[in-house]
Amino acid sequence: MAEATEQGVVCWHCGQPVGTETFCPACGKIQPAGPQADYFAVLGLPRQLALDPAAIEQRFLALSWKLHPDNFVRGSERERSLALERAALLNDAYRTLRDLVPRIEYVLEREGLRREGEARQQAPPELLEEVFELNETLEELQSVRQQGVQDAVVLERLREAAAGFEQRLQELDRRLQELARNWDEAVSSGADQAARGYLEQMNEVLNRRSYIRNLVARVTAELVEV
Amino acid sequence: MARAVGIDLGTTFSLIARVNPATGKPECVPGPYGHPLCPSVVSLDPDGRIVVGEPARRRLLTQPERTVYSVKRLMGRGLEDVQEELARFPFRVDPDSHQVVRVLLGERAFTPPEISAFILREVKSWAEQAFGEPVDRAVITVPAYFNDAQRQATRDAGRLAGLEVLRLVNEPTAAALAYGLHRERRGRVAVYDFGGGTFDISILQLIAADQGDIYRVLSTCGDTHLGGDDIDARLLDLAREEIYRQWRMEVDRWPEALQELRRAVIAAKHALSEQPATTIRLLLPDGAAYARSLTRAEFEDLIRPIVERTIGPVRQALADAGLKPSEIDEVVLVGGSTRIPLVRRRVEELFGRPPHCELNPDEVVALGAAVQADILDAGVRDTLLLDVTPLSLGIETMGGVVARLIPRNSTIPASAQELFTTGVDYQTGIEIHVLQGERELARDCRSLARFRLPVPPLPAGMARVEVRFTIDANGILQVEARDLHTGEARSVEVQPSYGLTQEEIERMLEESIEFAEQDFTERQLIEARLEAETVLRATEKSLAEPEAGDLEADERARIDEAVRALREAMRGPDYRLIRARTDALNQATQGLAERLLNRALSQALAGKRVEET
Repeated sequence: MAEATEQGVVCWHCGQPVGTETFCPACGKIQPAGPQADYFAVLGLPRQLALDPAAIEQRFLALSWKLHPDNFVRGSERERSLALERAALLNDAYRTLRDLVPRIEYVLEREGLRREGEARQQAPPELLEEVFELNETLEELQSVRQQGVQDAVVLERLREAAAGFEQRLQELDRRLQELARNWDEAVSSGADQAARGYLEQMNEVLNRRSYIRNLVARVTAELVEV
Repeated sequence: MARAVGIDLGTTFSLIARVNPATGKPECVPGPYGHPLCPSVVSLDPDGRIVVGEPARRRLLTQPERTVYSVKRLMGRGLEDVQEELARFPFRVDPDSHQVVRVLLGERAFTPPEISAFILREVKSWAEQAFGEPVDRAVITVPAYFNDAQRQATRDAGRLAGLEVLRLVNEPTAAALAYGLHRERRGRVAVYDFGGGTFDISILQLIAADQGDIYRVLSTCGDTHLGGDDIDARLLDLAREEIYRQWRMEVDRWPEALQELRRAVIAAKHALSEQPATTIRLLLPDGAAYARSLTRAEFEDLIRPIVERTIGPVRQALADAGLKPSEIDEVVLVGGSTRIPLVRRRVEELFGRPPHCELNPDEVVALGAAVQADILDAGVRDTLLLDVTPLSLGIETMGGVVARLIPRNSTIPASAQELFTTGVDYQTGIEIHVLQGERELARDCRSLARFRLPVPPLPAGMARVEVRFTIDANGILQVEARDLHTGEARSVEVQPSYGLTQEEIERMLEESIEFAEQDFTERQLIEARLEAETVLRATEKSLAEPEAGDLEADERARIDEAVRALREAMRGPDYRLIRARTDALNQATQGLAERLLNRALSQALAGKRVEET
């Protein structure tokens, strides 16, 4: 652990102040990451949801050059273990922030709206009827298949249903992108109340999204078996 | 100080390479037989001497019960999950094996890491002989699809061989590195690595950055028990069945004959990569001759199901990288099994482009390992490898369901943390079961480790311990725990489910002094003399046959001269000279040997005709 003194955080190796630097400005040794490092900070990105994928990748690759354990094979045990910790954190951050959906989930977790790894599924009320029909069609298909016959009509209905739900997913993704931009704006203009509202909406959209994704996955699995 | 080396510890062959300091290019180190392939075969002589490589391979024919090959198939595996291998390969497993399988060589039992360590020591001695200085640091390659236990077993083998293992590098990644040096290449590359015992597919993105080249693995998939071995086994089955049908003879009951047959089918497999037809020949113990002609078309029909088993992993890797076959810019072939024309055609068909095979598919992995060793050891900073973990890491939760912590194809190192608390008042420990695999249920995944996490005795739900699971750059798991109340680190003893403990490794290191390396030249001399004696005995036997009387005077004179020259060389200390003269004697007796074989064949055919009429 880097020691915190009156001068702030100091280097574990030379005792000079290091602030939040990854490498000690005085001796160049790698420094530990903070206990609760924020993934946006790890990648040196602004804390916002609408991000350019190419920019994220650029940051990730540039930091990988500096932090990869390959650079520390001849270093001390302490340096190797710090590099392992830092590089793992960098890769975890990149894995989490690379795509919009996990990026939103991460922000929701950090803001206390969602628990880590939690994927609640919520049936969208306006879809209940369609979901009901789909389940019936699925059951029909299964019973028909048990008799060893292919029912072209049932199959066609399933394909249509799957296509319909795929379209819903795309709509939800567009909605998420819009909400993400809204959140960014609200945060940058200090509209905390509005920002909170957008987060709650995103949480709800994500729950619907995972419900529909599961449906699509089930239908796809059935169609593959056929 | 000697440079670090790269070692390809293969199922059938192992190679050692290093970057030549003069040219900056990687080179494989040739062994005492003049080529860089060291058969991954280990034998224990009755006098307690360990023999590795070419001489051990010959002992497969003479002392199969003291000799083992393809031991890589057993690395990091438990007794219950090698049953399939045991049915197909002549491993003699110690029935007293516990979690780590032990293989019997004669009367002694060795673990797969110990046997692999003998192979590593052998190639290490080649390098030391070539460089004239000790070698103590290495990059060792592993199949990309190796799990944690298989990786740990490989690292243990390195340590048992007296090597500091700088890094375990995935074989396809090493191959990409060797190819990258070979020519200017950018874009998305698929490395199809079909070796002796394992199959890997890796999809890489090659990026030119300001600082240098980045080799970034996007996805990997494979099968750690699919390779040329399976093709040999298929051919062997065919021959065994035919021999049984024709002569009611079970070749398996003659281990020597079985090994001869194995050698014959491998020779046929190799021949069919070059020519449209060949013949599998074997002289059976009772003097009958099996001669089976095999066309390439028939061979391809036989092995097609094996080749097709590589296609599923290829599609999975492409899907995981989010790419279609047409989006791959280059396809690279690695591993001896990619010499088979059917394999090449299938890969070309799948990707819609001819694959690259400019570099020797046997050597390319070792060359890449040498490059990585150089990068790590000499601090070369113009290349960066970003590899991935092939399998998802998770822990068992309620009902035997796996909670996924690190998904497959995550760039390594990677980590995940979990918060644990207690369900019972004053509970002092929490059982944690770590698994690797893609299935939902713990029983379908690979158990990596079980451990008991110590917690302070507090009312239920009060204890809060955070556990961090880290997969390091070698693809090996590390576990750390921290008490969130006190901030104290808690030590966690993680005993791998299928690995050696620290104490076992130390004990093996002590025991290995017993097999302390004999001087390289001394070993070569012993082997060369043994080989020479074998050939001399065979020559004497042939000369006693009636055919010897038909030899032309000058042919007979040549044989006698070769015998005399060999005997003279055997009295001296030059193993190279002994080998050269052994080869010369083999050459001189070739005509005689052919005549003897022809007689055996015509007798066998005559016998068959009698039977048929």
